[in-house]
Amino acid sequence: MEKVVIIRYAEIHLKGKNRGYFEHVFSMNLEKSLKGIRHELHRTSGRWLVAKFPEELAEEVAARVGRVFGVHSYSVGYLVDNDLDSVYACVKEVAPAEGSFKVVTHRGYKKYPLNSMEISAAIGGRLLSDFPALRVDIHAPEHTVYIDIRDGGSALVFGSFGEGAGGMPVGTSGKGLLMISGGIDSPVAGYMMAKRGLTVELLHFHSYPYTNEGAKEKVVELAKTLSQYTQVRLLRTVSVTHIQEEIHAKCKPELNVTLLRRFMFRIAERIAGRLEAGCLVTGESLGQVASQTLEGMTSSNAVVTLPVLRPLVGFDKDEIILRAKKIGTYDTSVLPYEDCCTVFLPEFPATRPKLSAVEAEEGKLDVEALVEESLATVERIEF
Amino acid sequence: MIYLDNAATTAPAPQALERAVREYREYYFNPSARYGGGFAVQKMIGEARKQLLSAVADPTAFELIFTSCGTEADNQAVFSVARRWNAVTSAGEHAAVERSFTELKNRGVEPRFAPLEADGRVNIDALLDLVDEKTTLVSVVHVNNETGAINDIAEIARRVKRKNPRTVFHSDGVQAYGKLPFRLPREVDLYSISAHKIGGLKGVGGLVKRKGLVLAPFINGGGQEGGLRSGTENVLGILDFAYAAAERFPRIAENYERIGALRKRMWERLRAEEYFYRISAENGSAYILTVSVPGARGEVLQRMLFDRGVCVGTGSACSSKNRFSRVIAACGYGEDVLDGVLRISFSPENTEEEILQAADAIVAVVKEFKGKV
Repeated sequence: MEKVVIIRYAEIHLKGKNRGYFEHVFSMNLEKSLKGIRHELHRTSGRWLVAKFPEELAEEVAARVGRVFGVHSYSVGYLVDNDLDSVYACVKEVAPAEGSFKVVTHRGYKKYPLNSMEISAAIGGRLLSDFPALRVDIHAPEHTVYIDIRDGGSALVFGSFGEGAGGMPVGTSGKGLLMISGGIDSPVAGYMMAKRGLTVELLHFHSYPYTNEGAKEKVVELAKTLSQYTQVRLLRTVSVTHIQEEIHAKCKPELNVTLLRRFMFRIAERIAGRLEAGCLVTGESLGQVASQTLEGMTSSNAVVTLPVLRPLVGFDKDEIILRAKKIGTYDTSVLPYEDCCTVFLPEFPATRPKLSAVEAEEGKLDVEALVEESLATVERIEF
Repeated sequence: MIYLDNAATTAPAPQALERAVREYREYYFNPSARYGGGFAVQKMIGEARKQLLSAVADPTAFELIFTSCGTEADNQAVFSVARRWNAVTSAGEHAAVERSFTELKNRGVEPRFAPLEADGRVNIDALLDLVDEKTTLVSVVHVNNETGAINDIAEIARRVKRKNPRTVFHSDGVQAYGKLPFRLPREVDLYSISAHKIGGLKGVGGLVKRKGLVLAPFINGGGQEGGLRSGTENVLGILDFAYAAAERFPRIAENYERIGALRKRMWERLRAEEYFYRISAENGSAYILTVSVPGARGEVLQRMLFDRGVCVGTGSACSSKNRFSRVIAACGYGEDVLDGVLRISFSPENTEEEILQAADAIVAVVKEFKGKV
């Protein structure tokens, strides 16, 4: 009787000829998620099995694999010999002593002498005679015992399903660069794209000394939380301090933010190029703040050719917050360190900047030199 | 590193710390233990207590309760005394007193806040107007931690008592103890002090209490500190506090004068430039010089200075929340001044050379900031 974690995958079964590739990436991701824990990972019919880990780490193993995209559900269970006595010995350990229950058997090994109904009945009967306080309820039981009879003389016994992260294995949809701030939205945007199989690299813009170390530390924390899903353990930061100063000194205050965002997009695209990333990802949500209007997005998009993915574009703040809480980034995001100093915040930012006006304003700046200067400040923070 | 943020905390006095650690290694017993070791530690604490108390007050008229910090001492004073009717304080208090007074509202006691003068001192007449026959507590900070303004607490306490002799008078003396040459008059009933502002460790403070004043216990438990503040004593912190204070007090007047001269040098240098507005008054504590660079951001200047090896404090933040200092705002300044507050605070270890270097660095970063923003 060995403790194991059973993993069932989500969309991969929809794949045709590429299935092998998807499964390969998926199992690599599972391995990465279990880094630091001794284990064996086995591919069995239609599922994966993590075995040979220290038993006391079962919950940790389950939690970690549960966060891997592509996992539909997972269970902590036992691997036993498939004769009825062995199966029952295990069931007796995991089954409750009172209340209502049912036994559900899945018989992958079709040559087994009993069919699934018979196995359930036999095991259920033995439970009833050993625990008089138990009763059977096949419609709405308080507890369900699952038995999975497999090829090769073994069986799996488990009591519940945990909901996996769903989605597709990270890395099967290419690579993108997430512009991550210390706020609530961008980590959620990164999560959502990773969920669709994108490898999400991280880029953070800061303007030290106008912003402080606390703001940067906060982003590192967010990146760490996100890495539990994306397996990317690296954050790049870049300074836009001088750009902000130049904009502030030379351009109309109401276009501050619009202009800064254009610089950020340019810088992000250059870095994406170096990383061979095929898209930029932002946490923008239509109309949420002054710079996230259609005109604002148009003005940013105009300076890049890579597609800009905005998975939150149609989300309400409430919906984003709910997701942030579920992912575990929310509590960090609301810590009181801000990304922008009040020095640079215009009293009335333009909500509908005209592209021609923005371009004219930008003409006052040496864009290329500023971008190059900024690119020279890239730092890598590994964690 | 030139450290000029001594009102926030100070570097530990090295010899005091060494001695305290050495003794603590040997005398680690619980002071409440009823065997030789316990009694020995109890005695050491007793001596530290006597010394720390005598430095500021007559030990026959006052006693000292050790606490875990100045904030705790302030909380104990407020919540042990203001248990009904109303309590009066100034708009220039440290958050430890201000937040405690705000909390009084939830406990059925009416908090009253007296306005400030432009330098941060409380307006005494306005304060006295708030005191009536139902005032249980008046609390006025001794040295304002943001501007260095000195409240004449002896005079204020006397006038409060004249109006209502039953009112208890407390003062937060954290920025004064070990710095300002001063003895507690009998009219002051409670006085908060803290170790880490004068070279001691963080995690230890005290509440000086007039003998005979009856307080309700603040932390219940094993009955330490006369039952008012239970919990095993911070022996290391207390010993270190006493040794650090022993280095400061004999030279308190001499230090004050020397630091006053340093403060003057600093201001002379800053005043030569057009950027600086002085918030601290001439007659404020020599240990604090608060200025503003209108239109700049104190927090940004602070980081620029840190990167040049100079540590100063600020009274303003870059964030939109809590952007301005509540206390300096209460002095009546507008946003421009409030945004650019720098608090330069000294210690006896500062040298004239450091002060001049720091002044040059401050001028340089302000010029840099003004050139950009």
